[in-house]
Parts: sequence; C-alpha cells; structure tokens
Amino acid sequence: MTTVTGEADAARRRGTMRSGLLRQVWASRADYMYVMPAIVVMLVVIAYPIYYTVDLSFFKTPPGLQLRDKTFVGLDNYRAILASDVFWRVTVNTVIWTLASTLIAFVLGFALALALHRDFVGRGILRAIFIIPWVISAVAASYIWKWIYHSDFGIIGAVMVQLGLVDRPPNFIDSVNTVLPSLIVVNIWREFPFAMIMLMAGLQTVPDQLLRAAQVDGASAWQRFWHVTFPHLRGVSTVTILLLAVANFNSFIIPWIMTGGGPSNASHIWITHIYELAFGRQRWGVASAYSVLLFLILMTLGYFYVRALSGNDRKEHG
Amino acid sequence: MSERIYARTPRRRQIDGWRWAGRFFLVFMLIYTAVPMVWMLLTSIKSGFAAMAFPPEWWPSEPTLASYEKLLDPQSSVGQDFLRFFWNSLIVSTLTTILAVLVAVPAAYAFSRFTFPGRQFLFFSVLLRNMFPAVIFLVPLFILMRFLGLVNTHGSLVLTYLTFGLPLAIWLLKGFYDNIPVQLEQAARIDGATRLQAFILIVMPLSVPGIIATAIYSFIGAWNEYIYAYTFLSKNEQLTLPVGIQRFFSENTTDFPGLMAASFMMSVPVVVLFLVLQRYFVRALTEGAVKH
Repeated sequence: MTTVTGEADAARRRGTMRSGLLRQVWASRADYMYVMPAIVVMLVVIAYPIYYTVDLSFFKTPPGLQLRDKTFVGLDNYRAILASDVFWRVTVNTVIWTLASTLIAFVLGFALALALHRDFVGRGILRAIFIIPWVISAVAASYIWKWIYHSDFGIIGAVMVQLGLVDRPPNFIDSVNTVLPSLIVVNIWREFPFAMIMLMAGLQTVPDQLLRAAQVDGASAWQRFWHVTFPHLRGVSTVTILLLAVANFNSFIIPWIMTGGGPSNASHIWITHIYELAFGRQRWGVASAYSVLLFLILMTLGYFYVRALSGNDRKEHG
Repeated sequence: MSERIYARTPRRRQIDGWRWAGRFFLVFMLIYTAVPMVWMLLTSIKSGFAAMAFPPEWWPSEPTLASYEKLLDPQSSVGQDFLRFFWNSLIVSTLTTILAVLVAVPAAYAFSRFTFPGRQFLFFSVLLRNMFPAVIFLVPLFILMRFLGLVNTHGSLVLTYLTFGLPLAIWLLKGFYDNIPVQLEQAARIDGATRLQAFILIVMPLSVPGIIATAIYSFIGAWNEYIYAYTFLSKNEQLTLPVGIQRFFSENTTDFPGLMAASFMMSVPVVVLFLVLQRYFVRALTEGAVKH
C-alpha cells in the first residue's frame, strides 16, 4: 500500500498521468533489478520484525517464548509500562544521556575540525589519534574506562588523591549521583571523532574565495566563521546531529557492560531496560510494547532526518 | 596609511587569541583522547600484582609481555579460545563486507542514475533503517533465526550485520555516483556498450574510493558488533571477539592486564585498517555525502 503511494508521488512529481504508471513501472523493470537485493534483505530483516514486534506487544507470551501459548491482553502491556516508576526514571536518564552526549560530542568535534583545518606540522598525526576512539570497539572502550574509573586502582581517582583533592578515590560508577555523567564522558569519547570527520569533510566545501573576500572586506575571524563558514555547514551539521542523536538514543553497549544499568537503575536507559525486560526477565509482551513506543519516537526523529537528507537530494536533482 | 596600520593591530591580536585558544583546546582533547589508550597499553604490560598497586605505578617497573604470550599461545586454553574468537570475528566481518559491497553498489548506482517509480520512497526507506536500534529487532529476529535454523551459526550474524551496514553504504556510494559525470557513460553507450557494461567498465573503476570506504565501514561495524552476537550465539567455539572477551573476564575478574591486552589485540586490526585507508573514507564523505 505504502509503495503505491510512493510510486504515485513519484509519478505525480514527474507530471505523468496516473494511467501511465503501470507502463512506467514495466518500462523501468530493469532498474528494479539493481535495487532488488537491497530491498529483499531489508524486507526480511526489517519489515517482518517490525510486524512481529507490534503483534507481540498485544499478547502475553510465556517466558520460554512458546508462541503457541500466547494470550491476547489488549493494551495491558502499555498500561503496565506507563504505570511503572522505573519507566519515568529510565526516560529521564535517556533524555539526559541523549542530549548531553549529542551536544557535547558535536561541539567538541566541530571545534576540533576547525582547529585542524589550517595546515601545521603534526596535523595528520593528531587527526589520526583523534579518530582512533571511534574505530575501536565499544566493548573494548567500556573495559578500558571501567579500569580507569576503578574505585580502588583507577587512574583518575589516584590522580585526585595525589593532588590532595580527595582523601580516598571516588566511586565514579558505583554511586547513583555520578554514574550517568561518568558514562556520558565515555560515550562522548567514542563519538566526537565522528562529528569531527563529518565537519572536516564539510569544511572542505566552504569556498576559499569567499573567506578571502570577507577577510579583505575587514571581517574578523569570528565574523568570517559566523557569516561564511557556518551557513555552509548547516546541512552537514543537521545530518551529523541527527545521526548522533539516533545513535545515542540507541546506545546499549557502554551502559550494559560498564554498569548493567545499576546502581538502582541510575544508568538504565531505554534500550538497556528493554533488553533486560526481554532477555533477563523474559517479559516479552512488555518489552515489545516498549519497542513499539520507541519505534514511534524514532519515526518522529526519522521524519526530520529524511527531511534534512531530502533537502540535499532535491538540490542535487534540482 | 599610518591610521590603517594602527587599526590593524588589535585585529591581529584577536586572531592570535583564537589561535591560542585552539592550541589549548587541542592539548586538552589530546589528553582526553590519548590517556585511556596509553593507560590500556601500560596496564597490559604489567603483572597482575603490579596493576593493583596503590598509588599506581605510573610507569611499569618490571614490564612483561606475559599477558600477550598467554593470549597468543595456542597450547594454553586461554590462547586457544582467544585465537578462535579472533578467527570467528575475521570470518564474519569479511563475509559481511563482501556481501555488503555486492548489494550496495548496484543499489546506490540505481538510486543515483535511474528515475524509476518509487525511487524516492525506496531510497528513504533504506535510509530509515539507520534509525532503529538493534534491540527492537532482537526478539523477532531471534524467532526468525530459530525458524531458519540459523541460531548458533555465523550465518545469522552475517545476515543481520548486512542490514545495518547497508543504509550508510548506499548513501555514501550514491553521493559518489552523483558526482561522476553521466556523459562518461553516455559516451560508452554511443560506442556500443550496454548499460550494464557502461556501469561495470566505466563507473565501477571510478568509484573505487567509495567502494573502499563502504568496505571499511562494513568491516569495522561487523568487527565491533556486540548485541546480536551476544544474543544469537551461545556455543563457546562460535563466539566473536567482543562477546568472547566478555565471557573471558566475567564480573569478578581481577586480571586487568589480561583484559587490557585483549582489548588492545581486539582493536589493532580495525585501527590499522582504518588508519591505512582513512583517506578514502574522508574522501568519500567529502565527495559524496557532504558535498552539494
């Protein structure tokens, strides 16, 4: 059904008559062969699971996932979620986690891209070092930082003691108050390089003549940045922020490995909570209902994402 | 004239202010980025006893490669497991990469060149895949894999990894093809090449940097993936590195040098791969996705 709407849209945009659509589809049948493999893989691994998740969210399914024994419970799973205290706690955590990680990673990456834009000795080496955290696995990163935060032998705590700031090393990830900020620091460590790469690529598209012209006209460094560079980077910035936001909203590995959501849910975010509900406590129905809610939120974000991207696409195909 | 020079001086100083701010910022970021990695390396060459000293030994007094020897020794049980996990990761990542390129290249080309009905819709539904977290698909995919008989096989991983590499791969490559002049293919067509020949003989060679970028991206994604491997695989001999390492060093471990050595060994292949090929990746982003 949706495909037909999409095709109709495309047809209308090109100003052809509706009756010509079938002929058009037939005429471009060879074109579809190129996209077919991608579409088939997507259908099997995406469309089917989405259907299944929605279906499961209206049922109570026994722990062993015996699908024959599931019973219809209507909206009970959704009601259970909204009534639980954990839900609100986890939602607040997710919002803090997503906003803080996305904004700080973006700002750091942006500033680095600017700082590394001009050529100087050692620029290539610095750039390579800055990219590494993004490439190494999140599992390795989690273990490295867990060791750095270690409450007895961690390097940060030791430095703080040596400098006389505290008497004994603080418990970064075992305390309700500090666990979320500590994990956000790890997450930013892994993500700012992505923002940096995207914006470095973006910076290369800013025309040099414009910048020089502005300089000749007496614009200060800040004015050149704000009136010439920044407007050119608006498209890249939007896409980067959206991709980061989605990735953060969906992150799992860092909280899961470093704290498992603890202590007392202080570092549980939606995804880790859903995982625990499904594979830990085997409450498949509630977990699926959570997934459907998550899905709806992501569709909203996705709308902006597609709009940002299609802005670019339309410009290209004018 | 003299007035002009006078007016210029404060501006000069302002620029220098930015420059200094930039330098401080670079040093700060360098500490933030490098300290964890350096500490991982230093810990990995300590003995278990030395790692647990307080205050810590900032520089290992008796550096030892014992942790690495243990991990790489095919005779010991730890080494056997580690090498097997390494091999599993390599197979899964390589297969995923090959398949991702084979599927993404024609799709990206079609999205870039042809105007078949539904093109826009299909393109964006492919991109939307990027929006959804692995966990949403976990339960249904688990059921699907059970149905296909793929649970506890590497096939289940390759199939799922393929889908989350694809959207970005297609997007990157499409941007690349958008920038290759259509006239090149038209010239080939006039000389009698079919559309497929024009694609394979003219466009493919020109898009090699884009294909390399796509391949790196898929490989790193597959190499580092954790959730699906953690859920789909339960037999010890099939685990990939991220899950395997977690099994090794379960909650109560105190062998931090071993853990750091394993983390380092797990990072080496992807870091080396990326650093060697990064110019293709940055170029693909510059010429493809970002340019408009």
